[in-house]
Amino acid sequence: MPERRRSATTAERLGRMLVIVPYLVQHPGTSLASAAEIFGVPREQLRRDLDLLFMSGLPPYGPGDLIDVDVDEDGGVWISMADHFARPLRLTRPEALAVYLRATELLATPGIPDAPALASALAKLRDALGPDTLGDAAGIEGAVTGSAPEHLDALRAAAAGLGRIRIDYTAASTGERSVREVEPEAVFASAGHWYVVAWDVAADGERLFRADRVSAVEETGDRFAPRGLEGAGRQLYTPRDQDLAVRLLLRPAARWVAEYYVTDDVVTRPDGTVEATLPARQTGWIAKLLLRLGPDADVLDPPELRAEISQIAAAALDRYSG
Amino acid sequence: MEPLERLLNLVGLLLETEHPMTFDEIRRTLPAYGGDNLDSAKRKFERDKDILREYGVPLEMAATDVWDVEQGYTISKDRYYLPEIAFTPEEVTALFVAAQSASEETVAARGVRKLLYGAEGGVLAGAESGPLVAGSDTRSARVLAAADAASARRRVRFGYRTSQGAVSDRVVDAYGVVFRGGHWYLVGLDEERDAVRAFRLSRYTTELEDVGEGSAPPEGFRAIDHVEAGPWQLSADDRALIASAPGTVVLVESTFPGVVRERTREDGWIVLAIPAADEQALAAMLLQFGADVEALEPPTLRDEVIRRLEASVHA
Repeated sequence: MPERRRSATTAERLGRMLVIVPYLVQHPGTSLASAAEIFGVPREQLRRDLDLLFMSGLPPYGPGDLIDVDVDEDGGVWISMADHFARPLRLTRPEALAVYLRATELLATPGIPDAPALASALAKLRDALGPDTLGDAAGIEGAVTGSAPEHLDALRAAAAGLGRIRIDYTAASTGERSVREVEPEAVFASAGHWYVVAWDVAADGERLFRADRVSAVEETGDRFAPRGLEGAGRQLYTPRDQDLAVRLLLRPAARWVAEYYVTDDVVTRPDGTVEATLPARQTGWIAKLLLRLGPDADVLDPPELRAEISQIAAAALDRYSG
Repeated sequence: MEPLERLLNLVGLLLETEHPMTFDEIRRTLPAYGGDNLDSAKRKFERDKDILREYGVPLEMAATDVWDVEQGYTISKDRYYLPEIAFTPEEVTALFVAAQSASEETVAARGVRKLLYGAEGGVLAGAESGPLVAGSDTRSARVLAAADAASARRRVRFGYRTSQGAVSDRVVDAYGVVFRGGHWYLVGLDEERDAVRAFRLSRYTTELEDVGEGSAPPEGFRAIDHVEAGPWQLSADDRALIASAPGTVVLVESTFPGVVRERTREDGWIVLAIPAADEQALAAMLLQFGADVEALEPPTLRDEVIRRLEASVHA
């Protein structure tokens, strides 16, 4: 397989050059460093590829026919004699569709920055590429659900400016509301919700907050040094060793629980019911979830959880007795 | 000579040539394919052709002259070059940020890089803000396959598990893909049921298989109309009133899109209006707030909540 591997690398480098060279031709003097960053290539690799470009050109390949690449003392790149590479290769159909899908997903997430610019860019892209590349893109749609969290901009500003803030937060797992000092590092959307990854100062640990459950943001005036907490792409729930394991039996109408929450050991029984284990730091929210599911789910373990459900139901029923 | 250099020369040559070139002509012009061993040069050329096609370079074969005696290679400029698109710097930046992903390299990112060459100024402010959306990355190959099928009007087959857990094979004429509430759906005509259905991509039990040409959707079809918003589906007519403990109101608001605060009760609880079409589903969801939420109106909703609570107390 070494032969295949080598050709794959060459293909990647070619694909990259057919895109980077037009950029450098249109933006003379771009620094090697910024080109490397924009196109996601290690600087050394880009330098090597540009050195090869220097030896290519058009027939008869005399000194006056070769592409001229000059990297000046400030690292600026100047390319000439490359008119045939002054414009990039068209987007392939998968590339065009992937851009379209991603932008559609973002535009359906309320609170996205620069939404109007993204929407107009998408329209221009569709018009320019046309049905040859995109097919009938009219069928790709996003539905905007809900509205942007009230304090999203303040959270974003704090993360961008590395400012420590005080937030009023309601945790879904405990239902408790508290004021915490946090150092927010990243704000991202996942499955339709916005999240803030932050260092919780009092807890001295990393925490993930849902932006729509933050009911107040106040600047403390302090700045912080970022710890490099992981943003988009992270697991939304990180199971820990000391987690409780709640084993549930889910009937078909409650099967969504196994999809929606982080679950382990999911077993489908012959009758179509599902057994699944939910890791949790406390059982309170699971008891309420089971109250919601009613006859569609049963607790297999721990048995004490059944009494907890009855107690919550009795307390709730009290509200209606007056 | 490095293969990359040879490939760059080949692309340049075939883009600039005025007539399609036979392999012999290419071999005479490009020293990289020269040498005594014709077979090895041919093999090299075949490999290079594959690489060009892999990257979407539109390499074509055409007659070298009007008598159609010989076939030669050429790259059509029209099909090779990206058309001019006058993006503003804000638009290019928005696309660039949108395509960024937590994972290393995505198809979308590769596509957007091709669009950057026209960016005025070139330097992208805001590009360092990091990826914005996670979540659909793991399924992006499937979303792409669904969008591909829908935009080309294909018929596809796949295994599907309903929310109730029933698994079956579906054959669907793909009409559209819709992102709603954090999920992607394929919307299309379910052949067996002869009705338009929406299929959540995370519930597929197999990959999509292309089984031929599909039908066209009816005039005025909107895929988005076929994906339900959820049990609390927005509706202009139906409104439920509930009361929430002050500490829980943020959770309630983050659960129900479109909820409106009406007033604060004497006991400090907050009365909220929820657009709701399905009483059963809403009653169930309210139970998830335990004793911190009370259903007020309509009376049927209140009764349903009470009925469910009584059943759970005695369970």
